[in-house]
Amino acid sequence: MKYFVAHIILQIVLHYCVAIDYDGWLDIKIEHSLNCNTETFCSRGNISLKSIRSGTPVVDQILFTKHHIEEIKELASIDGFYSIRTLCSSPDNKEMEFLSSLKAKAFLDSGLSDVINVWVLPNGAVMAVNFQVDNSSQALSLSNNKIHSKFYLRYVEQAPVPDTASYIQKLEREREAREKGEVKDNRSFLAKYWMYIVPVAIFVMISGATNPEPAAQAAR
Amino acid sequence: MGKLSFSLKPNFLGLLKFLNSFNWFIVFFSLVNLSVCIYEDQIGKFDWRQSYVGRIKFAQFDTVSTAKKIIVATEENVLAALNLKTGQVVWRHVFESASTGNIELLHVAEKVVTVSGSNPYLVRGWDSATGVLLWEWSLTLQNNDQAEFSEWFVENSALVHMLPVFGSHIEVSMYNLMTGQNRGSTSKLPALWTNEGCVLSAPYYTCLSGNPGSHLLISMDLTSNAVQLISKPLSQLITNEYDSSLRSLDGNSIVPGFILGDKKISMIKNNEFDFLSVELMDPSASVAIVDSSNGLIILQIWSDDEKGFFITGHSLATGKEVAEIRRPASGLSIPSPEISAVTCGTSRDVQPCRLLVTAQDDASHLLHQNGRVVWTREEALASVVAAEFVDLPVSDLDAAIESEFDQKEGSVWAAFSRRLQQQWQQLRTFLASLQAGEQRDHSQPLVRDYFNLHKMIVILTDVGKIFGIDNLTGEIVWRRYERGVDASRAVFYTRRHASLLTVVAAHEETGNGLIISFNPIDGSLAGERRMQLDTRLLQCTLLNKPDQEKLHALVLLDSEENVQVLPRSAAVHVDNTFMYVADKSTAKIQGYALRYDGKEVVAQKTWSLNLAGGGAGFGPDGDSGAHRIVGVWPKPSAERAHSPGRVLGDRSVLYKHNNPNLVLVLTEARDLHHKESWVVAMCVDAVSGAVVTSQVQRRARALPLAVHSDNFLAYVYYSEKHRRPEIATLELYEGQERWLEAGAAFSSFASNNKMALVSRAAYVLPALPAAAALTRTERALAARHVLLALTTGAIVEVPWAYLEPRRPVTPTPEQREEGLIPYAPELPLPAEAVINYNQTLHRITNIYTAPSGLESTSLVLAAGLDLFYTRVAPSKTFDLLKDDFDYYLIAIVLSALIVATYSTKYFASRKLLKMAWK
Repeated sequence: MKYFVAHIILQIVLHYCVAIDYDGWLDIKIEHSLNCNTETFCSRGNISLKSIRSGTPVVDQILFTKHHIEEIKELASIDGFYSIRTLCSSPDNKEMEFLSSLKAKAFLDSGLSDVINVWVLPNGAVMAVNFQVDNSSQALSLSNNKIHSKFYLRYVEQAPVPDTASYIQKLEREREAREKGEVKDNRSFLAKYWMYIVPVAIFVMISGATNPEPAAQAAR
Repeated sequence: MGKLSFSLKPNFLGLLKFLNSFNWFIVFFSLVNLSVCIYEDQIGKFDWRQSYVGRIKFAQFDTVSTAKKIIVATEENVLAALNLKTGQVVWRHVFESASTGNIELLHVAEKVVTVSGSNPYLVRGWDSATGVLLWEWSLTLQNNDQAEFSEWFVENSALVHMLPVFGSHIEVSMYNLMTGQNRGSTSKLPALWTNEGCVLSAPYYTCLSGNPGSHLLISMDLTSNAVQLISKPLSQLITNEYDSSLRSLDGNSIVPGFILGDKKISMIKNNEFDFLSVELMDPSASVAIVDSSNGLIILQIWSDDEKGFFITGHSLATGKEVAEIRRPASGLSIPSPEISAVTCGTSRDVQPCRLLVTAQDDASHLLHQNGRVVWTREEALASVVAAEFVDLPVSDLDAAIESEFDQKEGSVWAAFSRRLQQQWQQLRTFLASLQAGEQRDHSQPLVRDYFNLHKMIVILTDVGKIFGIDNLTGEIVWRRYERGVDASRAVFYTRRHASLLTVVAAHEETGNGLIISFNPIDGSLAGERRMQLDTRLLQCTLLNKPDQEKLHALVLLDSEENVQVLPRSAAVHVDNTFMYVADKSTAKIQGYALRYDGKEVVAQKTWSLNLAGGGAGFGPDGDSGAHRIVGVWPKPSAERAHSPGRVLGDRSVLYKHNNPNLVLVLTEARDLHHKESWVVAMCVDAVSGAVVTSQVQRRARALPLAVHSDNFLAYVYYSEKHRRPEIATLELYEGQERWLEAGAAFSSFASNNKMALVSRAAYVLPALPAAAALTRTERALAARHVLLALTTGAIVEVPWAYLEPRRPVTPTPEQREEGLIPYAPELPLPAEAVINYNQTLHRITNIYTAPSGLESTSLVLAAGLDLFYTRVAPSKTFDLLKDDFDYYLIAIVLSALIVATYSTKYFASRKLLKMAWK
């Protein structure tokens, strides 16, 4: 029985983790606004997933050249934004466009490392692609001009529903406990009812203490 | 004694321990006490209610019954009786707000008859004195397509239904008014000459027909047995027939007639057009023909932009002007008036004429024949768009003190002399106020009171009328009508504390931005005054940094992504300003960063999300499977969070995730695979565009109801699976350790890829809410309560402790100690928690809350068909004495004690002296 419950819980947990009832490929084209000659955006790389459910990405990004670095330094000097456009393609949708920006200065300071969060609905539709500067680890050196990206595929979680089942179970349990009868209380009388006796005792004591002692007055 | 107490000591500790273990019990009882109700004698002390009916569509004087009334039917689908003397609502019936409640006909004779709905129609009879429903029968038309063109009238206690099929024929049916029996089935009258421009002046149906240049004026009696046409070539009547149009008479005119070409008034008498010698005084004039002691009178009212409001009356028989009925130009301003109903005393009793006039600003006035206003009803208040609580200015005395402490520079002597000057000034103003107080003690000056409970409620209504209402009395202090305002998406901004408020709206015709700035205390235009922009606006915000004159600049983003700053001089202050724009139908959200580049402010698009989830947007059928945004809820501006964390049962702290830029976005979509709709809630950082958390409800429909504050949010949705409304609640936490140092400023860009811990729960709501709001207090120390306005007409106050997602099913002792209530799936909505007690409020659309100067008290205004104002104390009035506090007793006891102390002192010293002599 125990194992059975554990199994069910495991299944629920698994279901919760992969709260997705659809599987398919996902292709994310990354474009940025650096060192693009005439156009506003040019390619930075590509992320492709064979399966949304497994969530393992193949990340392929360009190396930053000297021009890139110069341009991003220029942006950083005016505290500007480094903008990234992503185009997501899946079997159902073609080239959904998302835009995200990083503070150029922060991106440079972190050694060109960023975090990519992709939010996916249970039906596999992409709702958001965010880029954030990764400053959790120590700053990486800029030497190899490589972009360090961490990719996370995040699922929009199934919201909880009013938990009537466990509440009813709890009520059942309580009812059963009541039917079985109270646990035999074999403490002593004093142990059981001391909380009633003590206040009475205190009251008696206090009223005794405040009473004038006629004998003492008579002596004076 | 010492020994005894020593031996009792452990037991004392035991008692304390026992009490401690029963802590949760105490907490539970204190929660039970949270239901804050008022006593019977407090009714109306802190609250007021104003009942409205909406813009009047039909009105008729009820002169039959003894208590004189006006029966009105309105655009808001309300049938009501108004007291003739005061304008108060005597009785009121609120029908369905959809087209099923649409009132098509109001007929007042001995009984009130209404036709309402839209195929099927309901014919109902009401008792005019009490408003009790007397009879009801329904009527379904076969011809559903044409049903919207139906016209109704009552003739000889028969209900006549007329359905024109333009260019073909007219179907006329007659029914018994009480039973619905079809008297003589439907008759089809051939009428090739009908078109959309025809008017009904019962029982005649009149049209302008024919080819251009040879127009004919044709009229037909619909009720006569034989088809009789009256026709006349138009060229004989007016010279320029191209701009001719037909308009019916207003105010339930007793003889059939119409107005031709905004110029000529005609009656139909003995099957002939009878053009009157009296011409229309003004092209926009509203005309009614009414019976009076002097015979039939033609009444005309109109308004001139410069000269004001006019009334004239002409005798029908002689064409001469009636001397008594005359209101020459005056200060009275009634924009585009229309006669809704009119009555004049007939035959012997020489009662003057009374007119019920409805103006363009939805106000209804009952006018005397000489133009005196008996009463006015501001029916615009039945559709409130936005409301704002505005602090009143401090009194001159307080202002002087404040300004004194503001001046920091100067030597000690300068400060001292200033102090002396101020003191002299204060004395003078005090004396002046004493003198003046005797003369005008009934009209309180509008200055801030000690607890800042007295405020001005500024309300913007759908027609573009702005009101200033005193929150203590509910009295309208000022009103201002702005023409051509599309207020549907208007927003209020407090530009300068207590002296400048700005409405950003759109122009009705062009859709371009329209800015109205005014003083919220007296309603006079100020600042930019009325400013018409030449572009459409996407978004606007206030700069949080004020300039030297304490004015917050308005930043406007137009549809071409250009930025305007008002006033222009404030453009240099634009820095670190971010905006977001959400498109409801395409579910796209875009974020902009605004920066001043030395010349002008530029907006750079920094992020965009596509919450539609891949669909091509909602098609015309609304079923393409893409998400649409139901609503966006940011945190209230200038909100305080009183603590950064929660203390748990084991004395550790659970830190809140307090992102001030967090925005809750609710979207809804239909999933085409499963044939079910989804509700997706997303918490988006509006500055960086990062998604903080999200969740999806399946088989649910979204309702535009949510609250969002501090680190918690809640939204209501309708579960299609269980067919009931439910409320989902979320709380965001950082965990046991802080992400940032204490006191460090939060930045949306300095992310550290940690995800906030989210606790979620859902509860069943036993009633359907129509509006939701959170109570607000000055420092957010008091508990937060959610106010839910139910469709039943009650506003229920639910403590957040009940909505808390961390409520455990079986609480551990630690959780009990923390004060968490054990989980129950259904949210209790007890009757004691209804803040409007037995005053039912119809169709509440919005609840507005504002903090007062008292930490315990939050001010609440509920708007819908009615206005209801009250104040609530979520943590009870811990900083206030009770209402029935006995000041006299305390004063008497205190003074008696003081007297007793001094007298005993005196007697004691005497006694000591005497003893010393012994």
